[in-house]
This record gives sequence, structure tokens and C-alpha cells, in this order.
Amino acid sequence: MKVLRNPVLQFLVASLLLFGLTWWGTERLSQSAAREEALADARITTQLIATSVAEPAIPRGLINGDVGAIDRFDRRVGDRIKESDSDIRRIKIWRADGTVVYSDKTKLIGQQFELDPEQLTALHTQTTEGGLSDLRRAENQFENREGNLLEVYTPIKSPEGENLLFEAYYSIDTVQQRASQVLTPFRRISTLGLIAILLLGVPMIGVLTLRLTRAARARERLMGRAIDASEAERRRIARDLHDGVVQELAGTAFALSGAAREPSVSPAVREDLVTSSNALRRSLRQLRSLLVEIHPPGLNAAGLPAALEDLTAQASTAGMEAQVSVAGLDGAPDQVVTLVWRVAQEAIRNAVRHGQASHLEVDVRGDDRQVRLTVRDDGIGFDPATTKSNGSYGLRGLQSLVQDGGGRVTVESAPGAGTTVRMAVERG
Amino acid sequence: MKTRTALAALTLTALALPLAGIAPATASGGGGGVRTHGGCQGAAVWKLKAKPDSGRIEVEAEVDSNHSGQVWDWTLKHNGSVSSKGSNKTHGASGSFSVNRRMTNLSGTDHFVFRAERRATGDVCRGTISL
Repeated sequence: MKVLRNPVLQFLVASLLLFGLTWWGTERLSQSAAREEALADARITTQLIATSVAEPAIPRGLINGDVGAIDRFDRRVGDRIKESDSDIRRIKIWRADGTVVYSDKTKLIGQQFELDPEQLTALHTQTTEGGLSDLRRAENQFENREGNLLEVYTPIKSPEGENLLFEAYYSIDTVQQRASQVLTPFRRISTLGLIAILLLGVPMIGVLTLRLTRAARARERLMGRAIDASEAERRRIARDLHDGVVQELAGTAFALSGAAREPSVSPAVREDLVTSSNALRRSLRQLRSLLVEIHPPGLNAAGLPAALEDLTAQASTAGMEAQVSVAGLDGAPDQVVTLVWRVAQEAIRNAVRHGQASHLEVDVRGDDRQVRLTVRDDGIGFDPATTKSNGSYGLRGLQSLVQDGGGRVTVESAPGAGTTVRMAVERG
Repeated sequence: MKTRTALAALTLTALALPLAGIAPATASGGGGGVRTHGGCQGAAVWKLKAKPDSGRIEVEAEVDSNHSGQVWDWTLKHNGSVSSKGSNKTHGASGSFSVNRRMTNLSGTDHFVFRAERRATGDVCRGTISL
């Protein structure tokens, strides 16, 4: 699969597909153009032969089937048409009633067939018509072995002044030859063009890919360093807070509680001391939650339950009943545990900020293949479609986070029905 | 009565044949073609050949008089219709001329009649052939 992502290979495949399409397109276009051109050529040739060779040579009596007239016409015209370089396979001269008064296939002479609409049109409108021969017609009984033929009709007159129809048949090979003549330059140009593109493009794509790969690696290194730096800064801030402010607050709260228990303290002062001590303890819990968010302590499978408990402390503070359960996580890699914790953090934060829930449940289950996280609240919920269209940063951030970690996440919610976030990631 | 009529008919025929100068023709076939020959009025003889040729019939007529320089007017008919006609002069030691014509090969049997008349004497050669 990695090979398929190679830009050079993608470029080659795209080029070959383009080449195939171009080849097919030029084939179709040139066939069509060649057919038109061959038909136009055949029309011109037929008109020329009919008016300059056949019509002047028609003897009186031919239209009435006079055998001597047929012989004379055959001797005058047959050889001249065959000797002409026109690729004519058959000629027929028709009366308007469908009688063949002459054909180089003499067995047809005197036979009568029904004229088709194109023949009648040519005869009545005095125009030249043509198209592919229908070899199933009785009049074409001797042309069956000739392969596909092109037939063209043009009007002529007998010496008696009767309108006749001169018909000439051409081999379809002429059309194929014409198509080849039209197609060859197209193919040459497209093939040479593609080869030139490949010769220029492949090295360029290769060089660009190399540069992009190097740039991406450099960017990754920089990002790694930035993350490391940020992590170190967070660690320092968390340690300073923990070692300084947290200890101070804890000591103060302990001292206030101790002072409140002194018998000499008046009830009013005792109540103030207890209230202050409780306020300090609440602040202490919030501060610890903040410390966990800034820098989660030693995230591993064993420490995840405690870390999740710390995360839910903010929910408890907001008046929600929180429940955490973790099972089957022994031996799970740290990066998987970190991902679980980060997704849980985002889901809990959303539940606390927007959910207005009274109950929050965090469940982590692991097996041989996967680790699954479920964060469920019974809050006001939301319409995922609306939220998606609004481009919720929280949800998008969650999706992005899980995708980067190689997992899948789904968010199920409806107005008034709470929200459930599910995440599954391969154990690795 | 019948016997006298028959004798008269035989006598007329015996007289008429030399007058017409036409001897009975003999015909033979082979190689896909046919040929025939016969005598003309006077001392000349005629020959006729017909053979199929690429969907056509090649007809060859020859008059042999043993005298060079005679002018003959001839006509070649195909199924009773004049297909070709012309004039030729006998030449060479044999004193002959020949005519070759390509004819259309129509459905059924094609009949050809060759007639040549010596311009100076009116001697006639007449032969028929069918293919």
C-alpha cells in the first residue's frame, strides 16, 4: 500500500490513464472524421465516374434490355471503371421502377428490386446519397463475400432522356485506410507528447517528492521539539504550583481547620474558619484538576484509573455524580493510554461545560485487540447534524485527535437524550 | 403425291445450299469453351470460338479466304441484337482476319451469330455458336 502512495507511481499511473483516454478518444474522432471524409471522397468519385464515364457511354436501348447495347456499354465502361484507381467493387444502373439495366455482375441485369428510400431520394431530388450497404438486401446477394461496403448513388440520364440511378460500391477498407491516415499523426503527437511529459515529469516529481519528504521530516522534528519544549514548560509550571501554591494552600487549610477546633475560639469565628477552610479545600481540588490537565501524572495503564478520577473531579465540583471504571487494560502501550486519557478529557470537559448533566459515566474496556472508551452523560444533548454544520471546534478537535492516534470515534447525541462518546483504538 | 413432294424438297435443298455458299457447321467443345466452323460462299471458311472469361464470354470469329487484301463487312449478334460490327481486310499468308469481342454473360444460354460479307463479291459467311 505504501507503494501506491508514491507520488511518482501515482503520476505514472495517471499519465498512462490519460494516454489511454487520449488514444481511445483520437481513435473515435479519427474514425468518425475518416468515415465522413471517405464518404465525401466516394460521393465525388461516383459523381465523376457517373457523369464523365458512364452517362456518355450509355447506348440507346440499354434501358430496354437490348443485349447488344449491354455488351457495348460493358466493353466501353467496365474496363475503364475497373482500371480507374477508385476501389469500386460493384456498379449498378437502375431504372426508377427498380430494374437493373446494367451491372458489372451481369446476372443482375434485368432483375427488379424495390428501391430503398435513399435510392428514391437520390433519384427524385437529383442528389448524390450514400451510406453503409445493407448486405442482407436481395440486390446485394453477390456482395455478401465482399465484406462491409459503402454504397453511393447519383442520378444520370439515358440517351432517351430517362432518369437513371448510377450506384457504386466501395470497400470499407478505404474507410479504414483513411482512418489510419488521419489517426497516425494524432497518435504520433500524443505518444511523443506523453513520452516527453514522462521524461520531464518523472524526475521533477521525484525531486519534488524528495524535497517535500525532507521538509516534512524537518517539520516533524521541529514540532517534536516544540511539543517537548511545551511539555517541559508545563511540567515546570505544574511542579512549581504543586510544590509551592498547592502545599501552601494545603498547609493553610490544615491550619484553619486546626484553629477552628480550638476551644477558645468563639462560635462565630469558628464558623468563619471552617467556611474558609472548606473554600480553600475546594480551590485545592480545582487546582489539582488544573495540574492534571496541564501535565497528567505518569500516564500508563496502572495510573489511568487515578488520572480519570482526577479528571472527573471537575465534574464533581460542578455538582455531577461521576463514575469511573477501567478493566482489561493491563499491558496496554502508553500511547494508547494517553489517547484514551486525552479523549476522556475532551469528552468530560464538554459534558461539564455544555451538558448540564447530573450523571457522568466513564468506562474503559480492553481486550487482546482493542481498547474502547465510553463517556456517557445524561445531559441536554445536542443535534450532531447541526453541530457538524456549525463546525464545532471541540468535536473536530476530538476527531482529529483520535485519527492522529490511529483510532475511531463516534459521538451519539440528541436533544434531551444526553451524549455518548465512543472511541476504539487498536491495542498496537 | 407425298413421294413427289419429298423429292422436290430434297432437290431444292441441294440447289439452295451451293447457291447460299454456306456449308453445314461442325461444333465441338472442351476446356470450358465451344468452337465451330463452316464454309462460306466461295472458297472461304469461317471459325467461331466462345469461352467463359472472368464472368464474361470471349467470342472469337475468323474468316480464312487464302487471299490477302479482301475487304469484309461483318456483324456479331448476341441473342439477336447487334453487339458489334465492323470491316476488316484479310492479311498474311493465310489471307484471314479475326475478330475478338467480350460479351456479357447473361442468365441462361447465350446465342451468338457472326455474319461476314465480302464487299467486292457479296460472298457471305454465317456461323452461330451458343454457350
